[in-house]
Amino acid sequence: MFSSKQKFKRVLIANRGEIAVRVARTLREMGISPVAVFSEVDRIAPHVRAADLAFPIGPAPAPESYLCTDKILEVAKRAKVDAIHPGYGFLSENAAFAEAVAAAGIAFIGPSPHAMRVMGSKTSARDAVKAAGVPYVPGSEGALVSEEDAKTLAARIGYPVMLKAAAGGGGKGMRLVHSAAEIGSAYRSARSEARNAFGDDTVYMEKAILNPHHVEIQVFGGPDGKAVWLGERECSMQRRHQKVIEETPSPILTEDLRRRMGEVACRAAEAVSYVGAGTIEFLVDDQRNFYFLEMNTRLQVEHPVTELCCGVDLVEAQVRVAAGEPLPWQQHQITRSGHAIEARLYAEDPDQGFIPSPGFINELILPQGPGVRVDCGVASGFEVPRYYDPMIAKIAVWAPNREHAIHKLHRALSDTAVKGITTNTAFLRRLLMSDAFMSGDYHTGSIAEIMAQTPAALSSQVQDVAVIAKVIQTYLRDSRNVRGRADSDTAARGGGGNRSWRTPSWRWGGG
Amino acid sequence: MAAEIVVGGRRHGVGGVVDMHYVALIGQHEHDVEVIELSPARYAVVIGERRFEVDARAITESTLSLLIGDDAYDVEIEDRADGPSSLLVRGQVAKVEVLDLRKMRLRRAHDSVAGEDGPITITSPMPGKVVAVLVQEGDAVKAGQGLLVVEAMKMENELKAPRDGVVRELTAREGVPVDGGKALCVIE
Repeated sequence: MFSSKQKFKRVLIANRGEIAVRVARTLREMGISPVAVFSEVDRIAPHVRAADLAFPIGPAPAPESYLCTDKILEVAKRAKVDAIHPGYGFLSENAAFAEAVAAAGIAFIGPSPHAMRVMGSKTSARDAVKAAGVPYVPGSEGALVSEEDAKTLAARIGYPVMLKAAAGGGGKGMRLVHSAAEIGSAYRSARSEARNAFGDDTVYMEKAILNPHHVEIQVFGGPDGKAVWLGERECSMQRRHQKVIEETPSPILTEDLRRRMGEVACRAAEAVSYVGAGTIEFLVDDQRNFYFLEMNTRLQVEHPVTELCCGVDLVEAQVRVAAGEPLPWQQHQITRSGHAIEARLYAEDPDQGFIPSPGFINELILPQGPGVRVDCGVASGFEVPRYYDPMIAKIAVWAPNREHAIHKLHRALSDTAVKGITTNTAFLRRLLMSDAFMSGDYHTGSIAEIMAQTPAALSSQVQDVAVIAKVIQTYLRDSRNVRGRADSDTAARGGGGNRSWRTPSWRWGGG
Repeated sequence: MAAEIVVGGRRHGVGGVVDMHYVALIGQHEHDVEVIELSPARYAVVIGERRFEVDARAITESTLSLLIGDDAYDVEIEDRADGPSSLLVRGQVAKVEVLDLRKMRLRRAHDSVAGEDGPITITSPMPGKVVAVLVQEGDAVKAGQGLLVVEAMKMENELKAPRDGVVRELTAREGVPVDGGKALCVIE
């Protein structure tokens, strides 16, 4: 599949965690040497261990390391890399970084700075896609000028509507309006709230889409300005705008709707002459109307589900296109089969309001088996730093159909254990088995609804087994402590019998 | 899974058989549990009145393979420094805390002293950085009032007063990194 003659010999990955590991894997498969950068707390992180060359770039806080354009460029020059892959997050959507990389004579594996800038701003993105005939959430073109203006517009686009402060944020100056009877007072109170909060009473209007579905299309632009699409991803399982479970195909799309969204997404990408991997995010309402939300000008966290169903390697395609090769596929060559679901493993505690749970990983047990893919940025013996995103791994599965995929992912998550820190694995299993997820018709408000339900009680069998296991573990510890001295000679010789176990030698770091 | 009823009450260690008593806390329940080592790796575990014969092998300190009758269970145990452990059993997680009788007595004594009115220490729930101190030493606070904000992994978490009281021993300072479990102040 890969030719031995690559234009790029060495590529720097300006990232950390699971995505840096994932990019390094493809580079190595292509015969390209991966180069890592790391902060002070990431010396033994898996992304460093996956690289051929690795360079320290400063203290733990990202602004002093992973976000430092000059330090990363210095490393790139010293290591004589041909290209830089930015991953997602950090500098991946920073147009100034992409420009600085190009100015240093190094290829940036991503779109043009121009495309990043246009799509990076809500207003310029909307203007660009509007010209290409892409549907977006209907609303006022600019500020509402009067109560009468608000009334007329609301009648035209249809209730419910949302009034939003132009300077807004944090819900201030926002009003959800259900009928013409409420619009006058809502307009007045939104304005006064906006004035008090931001010193600016400019208010605009959008059609309110309640509990929308979040469906995105993977696009890929070629050097000739033509884009192809590689199916959709359903990303409605979100908690506070943070995606938790993603799948493809979306259970709510018909083949016709899918094709229309795909074609529209390609038009949006072509509107900015987009080159490389990108994602067009849409909101889909309960009438299955879809509206442009934004474009992400990078590889997406949830790209593995697309790779599993389309049988492609998006990172490989990114590298090839950045090296000047044409797109590896034409639209008619892209076929999809089966069903893929991904769950994001977060170092957080769902029982304590999802507080982050960084810390030392004593032991990491990851799932295996046919159709299971693991993208993981942590390891046994690694301390998950408190400085970065709490997502530590992605577990993705492929199966011939959705029901099978759900059960495969549930099985895989049941085989997953991260000891030493708290993760959301049990919460993920609960979401997966919820009526809303099983039915396929879930929306961005579904997680809140599932959490409001009382979780199913543990079976008495599981409770008994858990008590037995914990008591026996405690008993073994107690008897080891009592007999510790007597047994230590035996243990040192590798014996120790059934009662004791050897202290794991990899726990140097304590924890 | 077979459970036998113990008719004759508890056995005690005789003739080299080791017999230990524990209290297991699971959910709202508290169980007296007895472990009798019958032979290497074979145990009788008595939960209340129910007796289980268990073949238990420690794969590591936190992974056990159990045979209870013919039923096979692989159990992953995630321990915490303090409080209950999480046990993964056939895709379900149970939280269990096991105390020996000495620890149980200590805890009961402590609970009766601390009670409703005793001082409550506010600790950092995770390693992070104090980004805001919202109160001062000696302030009277209401239950639910924000005391401090601790940041970790790009998320800010407000620590609230668990009940009405007065802020004492305020050691938290803005901008200072803290370990998980570090005492930040006391509500008296």
